[in-house]
Amino acid sequence: MSDFTDPITGADAVGDPTAPEIGVSGELGAHRLDTQTPDRDDAAVNKTGTTTVGIATEDGVVVATDRRASLGGRFVSNKSVQKVEQIHPTAVMTLVGSVGGAQSFIRSLRAEADLYEVRHGEAMSIHALSTLAGNFARGGPWFAINPIIAGTDENGSHVYSVDPAGGVMADDYTVTGSGMQLAYGTIEGEYDHGMSLGAARDLAVRAVAAASERDTGSGNGVVVATVTDEDVSIEEFDETDAALAV
Amino acid sequence: MQDNQQAYDRGMTIFSPDGRLYQVEYAREAIKRGTASVGVRTDDGVVLVADRQVRSPLLEADSIEKLHRVDDHVAVASAGHVADARQLVEFARTQAQRHRLRYDEPIDVETLAKEVTDYIQRYTQSGGVRPFGVALVIAGVDPDGTPRVFETDPSGTPYEWTATAVGGDHTALMGYLEEHYRDDLDLDGGIALALAALAETHDDDSLDADSLEVTTVDVESHTVRSLDADDISPHLAELNLEDDDE
Repeated sequence: MSDFTDPITGADAVGDPTAPEIGVSGELGAHRLDTQTPDRDDAAVNKTGTTTVGIATEDGVVVATDRRASLGGRFVSNKSVQKVEQIHPTAVMTLVGSVGGAQSFIRSLRAEADLYEVRHGEAMSIHALSTLAGNFARGGPWFAINPIIAGTDENGSHVYSVDPAGGVMADDYTVTGSGMQLAYGTIEGEYDHGMSLGAARDLAVRAVAAASERDTGSGNGVVVATVTDEDVSIEEFDETDAALAV
Repeated sequence: MQDNQQAYDRGMTIFSPDGRLYQVEYAREAIKRGTASVGVRTDDGVVLVADRQVRSPLLEADSIEKLHRVDDHVAVASAGHVADARQLVEFARTQAQRHRLRYDEPIDVETLAKEVTDYIQRYTQSGGVRPFGVALVIAGVDPDGTPRVFETDPSGTPYEWTATAVGGDHTALMGYLEEHYRDDLDLDGGIALALAALAETHDDDSLDADSLEVTTVDVESHTVRSLDADDISPHLAELNLEDDDE
């Protein structure tokens, strides 16, 4: 709470830098830990399990994810989840962790990105978007999310991971989700700085394919998002092989 | 009713039958009673110059602050009630830092000016409060390197200017600026224009470096720089505006 209050509502006139502006009541933020209370039956919460991969190249970024939702990684509760969504004119975010948390997080971040764009007359930088996401993860009502934010802006292509405690890290490529070790194993050694967007796309798909083979939380095909300076395209494939360039 | 007007110019800001907000208009009168501040935009950055009234030789001139640093890249000049100005400056500082916390980037000048004017506006629509009796010139360099100069008004309306003046002698100052402003001014040219405009309003056409404040934000450094009397004197000497009594 700042020293400045709105004379009409009595509310803080500055606003909490870590909280979403609309959509989620500020009260929830204060009860962040309570949202994980035992009365919420953890076994019934859909988790993405998931392998989500983001790779940045000169020409844009590519994000590949699997399509499985599961209950504790033991039961496949959905076989066609789209785990990467556009949240900004040239950025996407992956759903990782609790499905409800990630969906709500995406809705809020999309609203924030839209508000920023109309107020500032230009879209947020990917760094600003990721910083905001980190603030929300740390101070907001969301828990158990671990998304990738990937996109392009005037400074180039960017891939960020956001961890559940609000840690925000930029990288050339990053993986989150239960299959991350398998996906990383595929990418390490194959990634190179100058690789084309097409080669990065193949590598991202193969990383998800490898994780889908062995991680019980990942599988059921692949969704590929490609972000360039111009636009965002998202394609879904029932089989990972179908997403590879022939 | 005999004293019809009184009903609309006391207490709450409410419309008079002819659609005027007397309290807001009185606030503008308060601004005219203050000494002037001038803001000039040049390709090389922005210039703020304030004339301070040192009413006694015993008064420490530096204790009269009309120019304020808000963030690395933004400064504010004020005219009118100094105490009201301080509240708005503090609000602007807090908003600038909130933006950094939220997005990890400097706020752009337009967004900051609109945050401040939105706050001012709330004080024209609430019971039991009075409008801010101050006009600000908010000047700075956007993160992308664009110099910007905005004015705030007690109604909460933002205006953008190439050059403007607030406070006493407003008409004379604006007349001078309109006649002499050129869009190819460099930063020193901007300082010279602002000083020359202020000198026009002094009876003896001279200025005393000790009773002036000069602040610049240049596009190279994006940094607020305040000139002290020793820095200001050469500008006055070049313009032949120095006080001969000294």
